[in-house]
Amino acid sequence: MLDLCLLAVMDEGPAYGYEMTRRLRDRGLAIVGEGSIYPLLGRLERDGLVETYRAASKGGPPRKYYSPSSAGRIALVLGVSEWRAAREEIDAVLAPVTTEVTP
Amino acid sequence: MNEFVEQCLREWRRLGVPGRLAEEMAADLASDLEEAQAEGVSAEQYLGRSASDPRSFAASWAAERGIVPRPGREAAGRRPPALAALTALAAIVLVVATLLLATGEPKVALTTSATPPRLSTPPAAARLSLPPGHRVQASAAAPVEWILLLVAIAALGLCAWLWLRWGRSRLPAAPA
Repeated sequence: MLDLCLLAVMDEGPAYGYEMTRRLRDRGLAIVGEGSIYPLLGRLERDGLVETYRAASKGGPPRKYYSPSSAGRIALVLGVSEWRAAREEIDAVLAPVTTEVTP
Repeated sequence: MNEFVEQCLREWRRLGVPGRLAEEMAADLASDLEEAQAEGVSAEQYLGRSASDPRSFAASWAAERGIVPRPGREAAGRRPPALAALTALAAIVLVVATLLLATGEPKVALTTSATPPRLSTPPAAARLSLPPGHRVQASAAAPVEWILLLVAIAALGLCAWLWLRWGRSRLPAAPA
């Protein structure tokens, strides 16, 4: 699922590694610390789902920027559709469950 | 460059990652860690469990990029030379055994018998002059060739199965 989130944040605009982590964190997704994003970015790159280029960051050293390739955008759209369908199905199953615990 | 990045770089070099790529990955990682630190995010917070195991982290990153074989798949990658040799050997044995069976004449064996042969008088054209206690056995069966053929077929079957397993093990993992 995290690869989908990475594609989503880089679809907003090209981003380097830490910048993507920051975007995810700004949206409340703090699970990144449990596993680095780098192997995931490596896999996306190997599978041709991202395009990369090197450019100077704001006042910093040159960084590797990632953005979804056309295949990556298709994968993103399909992945989001699948996720939404799965979420609705799970919500339907869990809907009757009350979240308040009564002693 | 901090110690974590240095260890990653050493691991990439050990794994045979091309120098330019290794330097590039190390530089990106170092820049990201510096930026994280500047924002008050520690390496442990940023990298999670990977922060305590730079070698695994480096190997995983390089493997996912497809630069080096995945851990555990190196053995599978080394299998083909031995498997190819076994397949070739089995094929050669199969061909040789088939040729021998197809072109070989019926086997004739001279055996020694304790009892003298009780043959009626053979036709004159087929009469053999044998020492006493010896007889001639002729058979179209060629047990050695048949055994070779069966062994070669079994070996080729095994090779086909091993090639299939090896091929499946090299299929890329489905995206998570």
